[in-house]
Amino acid sequence: MAMEYSEKELGWLWLNTVLGTSVKLTERLVVLNGGASAVYEKARKGEPLSLPEAVTPRQKAALMKRFREGELASFKDSLERGGFHAVTRDSEDYPRLLREIYDPPTVLYVKGRLHADTALPIAVIGSRKCSDYGREAAMHFGFELAEHGACVISGMALGCDASAAIGALRSRSSEYPTLAVLGSGIDVIYPQSNKRLYDMIAERGAVITEMRPGLRPTRESFPQRNRIISGLSKGILVVEAAAKSGTRITVDFAHEQGRDVFAVPGRITDPLSAGTNLMIKSGEAKAVFGVDDVLYEYGIFLAEPPSPIHNADISGLDANERKLFELLKTGEKTVDALCEISGLDAAEINICLTEMELSGIIRQLPNGLYSV
Amino acid sequence: MLAKLNSYGLIGINGIPVNVEVDLSFGMQKVDTVGLPDNAVKESKERVRSAICNSGYSYPEMRVLVNLAPADIKKEGTVYDLPIALGILAARGIFPLHAADDYIIVGELALDGRVRSVTGVLPMVIDAYERGFRHVMLPYENAEEASFFSELTVIPVRNLNEAVGHFRGTNPIEPFPQLEWHEHKSHYVNDFSEIKGQQHAKRAAEIAVAGNHNLLMIGSPGSGKTMLARSIPSILPELTMQESLEITRIHSVAGELKGGIVTERPFRAPHHSASIPALVGGGSKALPGEISLAHYGVLFMDEFPQFPTNVLEALRQPLEDGVVTITRAAAKTTYPADFMLVAAMNPCPCGNFGSKTKECRCTPAQIERYRNRISSPLLDRLDIHIEMTEVNFSDLTSKAAGESSASVRERVTRARKLQKARYEADGILFNSQLNTPLMRKYCRMEPDAEELLHTAYERLKLSARAYTRVIKVARTIADIAGEETISKSHVLEAVQYRGLDEKYWGSR
Repeated sequence: MAMEYSEKELGWLWLNTVLGTSVKLTERLVVLNGGASAVYEKARKGEPLSLPEAVTPRQKAALMKRFREGELASFKDSLERGGFHAVTRDSEDYPRLLREIYDPPTVLYVKGRLHADTALPIAVIGSRKCSDYGREAAMHFGFELAEHGACVISGMALGCDASAAIGALRSRSSEYPTLAVLGSGIDVIYPQSNKRLYDMIAERGAVITEMRPGLRPTRESFPQRNRIISGLSKGILVVEAAAKSGTRITVDFAHEQGRDVFAVPGRITDPLSAGTNLMIKSGEAKAVFGVDDVLYEYGIFLAEPPSPIHNADISGLDANERKLFELLKTGEKTVDALCEISGLDAAEINICLTEMELSGIIRQLPNGLYSV
Repeated sequence: MLAKLNSYGLIGINGIPVNVEVDLSFGMQKVDTVGLPDNAVKESKERVRSAICNSGYSYPEMRVLVNLAPADIKKEGTVYDLPIALGILAARGIFPLHAADDYIIVGELALDGRVRSVTGVLPMVIDAYERGFRHVMLPYENAEEASFFSELTVIPVRNLNEAVGHFRGTNPIEPFPQLEWHEHKSHYVNDFSEIKGQQHAKRAAEIAVAGNHNLLMIGSPGSGKTMLARSIPSILPELTMQESLEITRIHSVAGELKGGIVTERPFRAPHHSASIPALVGGGSKALPGEISLAHYGVLFMDEFPQFPTNVLEALRQPLEDGVVTITRAAAKTTYPADFMLVAAMNPCPCGNFGSKTKECRCTPAQIERYRNRISSPLLDRLDIHIEMTEVNFSDLTSKAAGESSASVRERVTRARKLQKARYEADGILFNSQLNTPLMRKYCRMEPDAEELLHTAYERLKLSARAYTRVIKVARTIADIAGEETISKSHVLEAVQYRGLDEKYWGSR
């Protein structure tokens, strides 16, 4: 579809191509010149802009360069060719919730559909380096939230974020299951292994970013991106976070922006859950055990309790398998530990474990551990 | 006067006869060595001169010409000291000219006339024996290497005087006693019974050895990877004489022999800073590398991904062929390299990935880079993957005595015999060598086993690679059980050793 932009929008877009993500500076410039359309008008006619004092010499030079209509047109073309479009502060589709924050992005580049209002946007975030538990929890909450009509916002990073998005995409009933916010240009997929996920999210929801196309992610771009994740959401759910984690930044943004914070509790001995447990302890986050705990806060009451994460059918197990299953219920164990406790030999145990793994009763974890 | 003696040289691990001709003629006192001698051979004239003088003989004040024939093959090393010295003495008439005609003579001389040991004796003797020679004169330290051939008279010498006495007939040297080859009850330092716990890993090692599968162990530091690898030679079948000689031959050429014949399966653990020549062989003399030194034994590569990528890739061809051909400017040599590869790695660069107690400090990109250092074709050749976990204290102190290596070895030997008989017509020895057509022919499965394999393939998202590996491993498990058809339980167990494919290399 050919995208038509108003003069206002073109003004924002042009400023974004020149000034990048310097939100406050762009805002001042627009105010000084009497609106985004006035900026566009002035630039088109080659009239000098009134500049705020904070403009650096480099930015000034870039702004003073003669505005060439051709440049902006070809930029629009290249967006269109990639199947992207831009949503600016003055666009109708600019997310309403995001406008509330201190520094809403001036322009959002979008692949997919972006709406001003999304039904119950909830961010599901967590460490990139997550445990199996974190991955599973993220997938569970992603799916359940999407099933109950929420939109799962994530950062499409490896680990929890990706799992949450995958879980949401599994919901067949949802119209708009998930939205991802990138820390790079809209056409830069990082990490590259998420290419398929990117396409699937864009197809059923949206992938957005405030960075110009072609920009690689930097150390600073991810924290910047996190303010958009929390800004877009009514609440954020932290699935798993170590004591020192990038997730902390998003949580701080959420508090600043007045969003709700939820956290999934973990084991007290697990370093990967230290961050989430601490949030719960300090009262920063509400502990959630199921999707109903989140939905409750937004006035959605589930008639029946949500499905538990595990409901293994153990009726078909033979004596040895049942013995091992009972042992695994008390905590994850290695084959060696099972040998030691059960008295069976490694070959027998391996046979049972595969059988149970194939029927989905137990799972293999990294480090040779098995768990129910 | 002209004296001719027989000696031996080496090309790779094969011996080649070299004639040592010494001619004394009137003229200025001078020694010339011709016949492509390298520096060590050229220097031999100085050692020979001192050794002769210090043994109580006078050095001829004549022109000495030494020719090493065939003259177009490069002669290396110090083995020609003794024959040259004896040649000079024979030409001078110290002992009868033809007394040494039937002998192969090798040995290095010390300045005082003592005979020092040399490398590569066994391959020389093997070749000489095949060519019909029945008498060899060797440095005393090397005598045991050559003592397993019937009807071969081995004359060990300690010094030049002894050799002269022998050929003169005045003091004949007692031949070295011929040693009987008996199935050596090899004694390995590391025994399976000493490994506490680790049932899973031990079982995996047993299967790997039975089918000659290569093994990959992934586990954090301290999880016992090295310990297990070190004890693998102890469950390999006892060496046959043929195998023993072949191993000794390689070790002899490389100068790695520590007296006598090799009776234990080699265990080689090169450091991860090893270069390609160190690992596969090379250098200016095209010497055998670690993979050949591990022939019929175990090559243990700890910190597998830390080896340079090109070194890892260089392993692929020998793993496939069991031999390695090294081409250098001076020589082209083929060495046997039929080894079992046991690779070990950490789950991530810091080693704590997946640990419940320690935090992993690696970024996902670092972990991926670490794992990606092992290419898919190489991974393909590692049939069995196991994960090892830190051993906890109660396991270490548990009273349960593990099974001894000897009883595991029995099962392994039986399984290997089955395979050998089955594949006789196909020119392979082990399940690990099965290709697709052979697999179809020999890996017959019960219907429910087949069905299970399909379920596993879909449920566990096995790669095509992992799929064939599971079949081969199931074949071996069936062989250990002594069954001809692969049953469901064999497949069930085999699936446990595919393990890490999708978990660690899932994105590929």
